[in-house]
Amino acid sequence: MSNKEKESIQLLQGTLDLIVLRTLATMGPQHAYQVATRLQQISDRLLNLNQGTLYPALVRLEQYGWIKGTWGRTESNREAKYYEITKAGQKALGEETKTWRRMSALVERLLLEES
Amino acid sequence: MKHLRRFFLKFYLLFANAKVEAELAREIGAHLAMLEDEYLRQGMTPQDARRAANLAYGGVEQAKQLHRDERTFEGLGQIPQDARYTLRQLRRSPGFTVTAILMLALGIGATTAIFSIVEGVLLRPLPFPDPDRLVILGDVLEGSHCASCAHSSVTAPDIRNYMRDTQSFSHLGGYRQRLFELSGTGDPAAVNATRMSGEVFAALGVPPLLGRTFAQQEDEEQQQVAVLSYGMWRNRLHGDANVLGSKILLYRKPYTVIGVMPRDFEFPLNPGHVNQSELWLPLSLRPEEFTAGSAASWNSRMVGRLKPGITAEQAQSDAERVAREMMRDYPAYMRSLRIHAVVTPLHEDTVEQARPLVRTLLFAVIVVLLIACANLAGLLLVRAIRRRREIAVRLALGARAATLLRQAIVESMVLSIAGGAIGLALAALALRVGVSLLPETLPRVNEIGLDWPVMLFALGLALLTGFLCGLAPAFAAIKTSMNETLKEGGRTGTAGSGHARLRSALVVAEIAVALTLLTASGLLLRSFQRMRDVKLGFRPDNTLVALYVLPQQRYATQSAIDEFTKTLLNDLGQLPGVDAVGITSFLPAAGNNWSIAFTIEGYVPAKGAGLNMAAMSLVESDPFEALGIRVLRGRVFTESDNAGSQLVAIVNRKMAERYWPGQDPIGKRLRRGLPETSTPWMTVVGEVDDVKLGSRDAETMPQVYQPVTQTVASEGVVASVGELSATDGWIVLRSRMAPEQMEDTLRATVRKIDPQLPLYQMQTMEHAISKSEAPRRFNTVLISSFAIAAVLLSVLGIYAVIAFSVALREQEMAVRMALGCQRSGVILFILSSGARLAAVGCALGLLGAVAASRLLRSFLFEVSPFDPGVLALSAITMLLLALAASALPARRASSADPMLALRGE
Repeated sequence: MSNKEKESIQLLQGTLDLIVLRTLATMGPQHAYQVATRLQQISDRLLNLNQGTLYPALVRLEQYGWIKGTWGRTESNREAKYYEITKAGQKALGEETKTWRRMSALVERLLLEES
Repeated sequence: MKHLRRFFLKFYLLFANAKVEAELAREIGAHLAMLEDEYLRQGMTPQDARRAANLAYGGVEQAKQLHRDERTFEGLGQIPQDARYTLRQLRRSPGFTVTAILMLALGIGATTAIFSIVEGVLLRPLPFPDPDRLVILGDVLEGSHCASCAHSSVTAPDIRNYMRDTQSFSHLGGYRQRLFELSGTGDPAAVNATRMSGEVFAALGVPPLLGRTFAQQEDEEQQQVAVLSYGMWRNRLHGDANVLGSKILLYRKPYTVIGVMPRDFEFPLNPGHVNQSELWLPLSLRPEEFTAGSAASWNSRMVGRLKPGITAEQAQSDAERVAREMMRDYPAYMRSLRIHAVVTPLHEDTVEQARPLVRTLLFAVIVVLLIACANLAGLLLVRAIRRRREIAVRLALGARAATLLRQAIVESMVLSIAGGAIGLALAALALRVGVSLLPETLPRVNEIGLDWPVMLFALGLALLTGFLCGLAPAFAAIKTSMNETLKEGGRTGTAGSGHARLRSALVVAEIAVALTLLTASGLLLRSFQRMRDVKLGFRPDNTLVALYVLPQQRYATQSAIDEFTKTLLNDLGQLPGVDAVGITSFLPAAGNNWSIAFTIEGYVPAKGAGLNMAAMSLVESDPFEALGIRVLRGRVFTESDNAGSQLVAIVNRKMAERYWPGQDPIGKRLRRGLPETSTPWMTVVGEVDDVKLGSRDAETMPQVYQPVTQTVASEGVVASVGELSATDGWIVLRSRMAPEQMEDTLRATVRKIDPQLPLYQMQTMEHAISKSEAPRRFNTVLISSFAIAAVLLSVLGIYAVIAFSVALREQEMAVRMALGCQRSGVILFILSSGARLAAVGCALGLLGAVAASRLLRSFLFEVSPFDPGVLALSAITMLLLALAASALPARRASSADPMLALRGE
């Protein structure tokens, strides 16, 4: 295996939903490719992610009613399904972010104490 | 909230799969295209760009699968795919598929048909609003010991008193069913009619289809009105819309039609098709029905609706209070009679007698279904073993156990649902043919059919069957040890011993239940044979019978009646070919016996022995000769035994032995009624053979015969004023010709005397007997056919298991033979393995037969449920069949060429 893949991190369970929601909230409507590209950009390519693995998260969020997909056209005139965050999604993002912050703070504290 | 929303969406997507799949493919396509664009922009060749895009995306199929798992219920979404896979598999082995489906169709079809009877007869609520509040009120006569008293009944004064004095019923009325001569609409005909209080319609609460029903007031005012059944209106009056207000003649008296009841209205809820009421008339009790003998005739019934909040027990104690008052007011001649009021739910009263039969049928049919299930499970197991290698390979390639389990169950479900669908069709067919063959002992037969509950039952049965049948082989399949199986390589060896035990258990169970059913059928056949051996006490050959009822309108005086009877007997006696002719009030084998109490001179009954009841037949001319009843002692009646002469009687052997044991009954005296009833003595002038009044398997009653001309005189104080005798009777005609040929002659003779008088129920005595045997024949035939099906299925099961294990061990056999084992040794070896299974199964089956004996006892006649002959014969039959089933594979194994088998690997 290549060096790069060894360094890459596995995505924590449940965090993908938060990341996708956050991406859509800040960037506006995006299609799956854009979301995947954005993920790789911000993770500095550390995130080992097949772009296909995004799809289950998208369908899950859509079924919760947090995002909504519509077909549209890209700048290069290709068709693509754009996902947009809904009102319920905004609200959920707020709550999930709070939960995540509490959680990460907790873990951080634990790690500090131990080291 | 979000989970609920998701749950419904997931569920919805189970059905919108194709649309979502297409959209997903489109989205993935778009995604890949954009990735490709990107790589092209980076300067890749189109080929490289495509590969890089696919790489970055990371497995289109995996992504699709992840998406599927996420968007709908895991596994469930796979079922259509599994079903397609199963169908493909099944198409590859049509023999297995057809066998399995037909077996299930037989099992599920038979069970569904029988369940539809259970549902229609026992389970469905009665067709009246709020049926749980309807009850039957009646008396039980202390010490009457009569068979027909299973149904409580009332007298005419009872009806009046209970209606007037009880407080527990919102509506309560009496009813009585009777044959009526209907004329004025085509040929005169006999119709079943029910005379009932106006309150009965109110109690039942079913509104009429047309017109109105009659009220209590019209009943009391003796209005001549009639309410028709739907069937009568359609068939006899051609569905005439203007029927209301028209007149029909009943016993030649005009009745005004005031209403028509809906199609499904049926009351009383009598067993069978024949006795259903075609019209309803006011009860309109006449004054003479409250006096004398009529006051002591328990010939009516009462139905009522309980007041809200009143229980059946409270109503019973209320009625019991009224009954005690009534007994205080009893006239002198019935002072010693003791009655108890009984309140029974109408549903209970209706289905009580049908319950054992229906339960036994259900039991039998479930046994057949269980055997079919065991066979299917066995077949599936064999398939699982055959596919061991395939399963091992799939496990090795990463298939999950849950997936294999699901596929195994889907396979058996597909089979069972197909079997269930065909079974339902079979059941529909069977019901269409079968309902008319049902015995006349079942009530509510018109309600039997395939309705929603029955369909749901069949579907549920199919699903349950499929699930259970699939379970055993499914677990066997996933228990397959991957390494072992794959290591075995091409060698078939003699593996699968764990499964062999499961298969053997299935076969043993099959044999056990099949033997239980076979024994039951053997016992029933033996009972039938025993019944056929019972002496009837009369000769049914060459005898034609028919019933007539003289309408009072025309035959108002005793002399007019006597004139008719005399002419009839005279004319019939002169017909060519007629050997003997007679008239009797009750026909042997017809089942309609009528018992009355007697007082016997010098006979002191033991304490608590109850009433001296005997079946009474009023006769004219010589029905003994005509029916072929043997005279044992004394003489038969002659012309000189008439109204004016000494009162005489003939008794049967049973009566003579009971009351004058060891003595000559001739010259002894007896009289009608209780000791306190003042009636004149009758002298016994003859003793005749015992005659079966009902079916052959019914108990013989003590019987008394009396000349019909002496009826009124012998009734003494209980005779009512102006009572007429001989107003009806069965004509019995014995001829030298075939009785069917006499039918027209008999009809013509009667028509010559009274052109308007219809003859009812004309039939040969042989036909009457066969009718009385019908219920037993029905039980026997049905249970036996289930037993045959069960035995065939279990033999098939034995054969399949033995044949399969022989096929598995072909190589082992070849080695044995190559090493010098004789062919006969191989045959013996295989036969003994079959026999072992059969022996264990038979032992268990005999235990099962003992357990089932309680259920069966009420259907047996002079046969013990543990009859050693029947038990032994059934067990031996089963053993032999099992041996025969294993003989075929044994022969095949022994005739195999050892070299071929050894080289084959």
